[in-house]
Amino acid sequence: MSLKNLLENWSRYRRGHEQGGYHDYEHMWAMVIDLDKCIGCNACSVACYAENNLAVVGEERFARNQAMHWMRIERYWDEPDLERAGKLEHGEYQQYGASFLPMNCQQCNAATCEPVCPVAATYHTPDGLNAQVYNRCIGSRYCSNNCPYRLRFFNFWSYYETSWPKPLDMQLNPDLTVRDKGVMEKCTFCVQRIRAAKDKAAREGRKVRDGEFQTACQQTCPTTAIVFGDLLDPESQVSRMWRYYEVELGKTEQHKRHPERRGYRIMEELNTDPCILFLERVREV
Amino acid sequence: MSASESFLMEQRHRPRQCEAGRGAWGRGWWALVVLLCALAFPAVWSPAAVRAAEVPNAVPPEGSYDGKHVPQPIEFPHDVHVKVNQINCMYCHTYARRSPVAGIPPTSKCMGCHSVIATDKPRIKKLVEYWEKNQPPPWKKVHDVPDFVHFTHEKHLRRFVFNNPGMDVADVKEVCAFCHGQVAEMTVARKVKPLNMGFCVRCHEANDGPHDCWKCHK
Repeated sequence: MSLKNLLENWSRYRRGHEQGGYHDYEHMWAMVIDLDKCIGCNACSVACYAENNLAVVGEERFARNQAMHWMRIERYWDEPDLERAGKLEHGEYQQYGASFLPMNCQQCNAATCEPVCPVAATYHTPDGLNAQVYNRCIGSRYCSNNCPYRLRFFNFWSYYETSWPKPLDMQLNPDLTVRDKGVMEKCTFCVQRIRAAKDKAAREGRKVRDGEFQTACQQTCPTTAIVFGDLLDPESQVSRMWRYYEVELGKTEQHKRHPERRGYRIMEELNTDPCILFLERVREV
Repeated sequence: MSASESFLMEQRHRPRQCEAGRGAWGRGWWALVVLLCALAFPAVWSPAAVRAAEVPNAVPPEGSYDGKHVPQPIEFPHDVHVKVNQINCMYCHTYARRSPVAGIPPTSKCMGCHSVIATDKPRIKKLVEYWEKNQPPPWKKVHDVPDFVHFTHEKHLRRFVFNNPGMDVADVKEVCAFCHGQVAEMTVARKVKPLNMGFCVRCHEANDGPHDCWKCHK
């Protein structure tokens, strides 16, 4: 990683933007999260803790916003649209339950965290992933402050002794680092699984097949609300869904021929170009 | 002075320089003889420099490291197995070609030969002791990369051996030597290459390996 690479990444992004595609990437890992299917059970979050060696920080530090949940479920109790339409009186809304929004790193293609890193510890891989190199990170936290989604987490303390007391350290995943104090971290789209799948595919002399591996959150989701795959593979489930919902990369606004199709990307108007497509919740009113 | 004149001046100076050069050769002729003698006896060559050149389509990484001698439960003589008996590295380290780690062979593989070969030697007697106790010898790790590094033997072997036109699998030890040194010259393996990030990156640059941080950092 160097200034040269950063500029190359930027020009690649510009090129992709102008030519309407990201064809010189090897893969473009992307996700679809169906909010109508999401029941807010937090299983994805727990799976992420188990898979990615996330530290449990404890109640007090959690209250100070120092939690390390790469995948978090945001809860929204209010339904302002319904209130405004007069279909719901204030105070009544809980009969419809909460709305849940699972949030993990959006793997933005024009990530706001990348250009502000003073040491280029975060950069874009040829897989379209927004990578974080722990060894390079100096903990300036600029990236976290620049992330509009608040999906970067900082290790304010060393957690490995308190979070995994003695026999529990045996459960740690050896395929990725246990981060120490002073390092920023975030969702990697389970890059260790991607890496294993690519190694296996290379061994067998073929390309990675769609559905060959799953991210931990996707694997655990009881309602299959999460779909993960390669957007550059036109036959993959993810790219078929992106096509159906008429959402494209490289746009700040989607002009849909079928506006009733409920796909959207969070804060795409900021030109972050996120790789996660959310399917709006269908309300029963 | 015009340009042509200065050119002529240079021309006039040139023969003198040549003479000086010839004089130096004249004084150093015996150095040439020594060099020729050295070339005539390949034993004088540095083995690494010459044999590494046998790997086609590869630039061997540079760098050296003075690793400590690691005491092993049995002083395993690599030199006898590799140099004298010409056993392929991948006969024992069989996982290298299909997994991230090269692996240490199971004791049964040692016993495959040593139930009949050299059974009277003290080291083999020790091996048989372990075998009869149903315990593997507690070998110590010599070459270790940090936990944050994703390294696969498999991919490196594919690049330098199996998918390398003109490369004979019988010469795989020259590829192993890139990172492990000439193990054929050692008894117990010793770390002789730095195996740090600079060492890896220089080799990746020279051999057109991937430059993506996340290929190795995890």
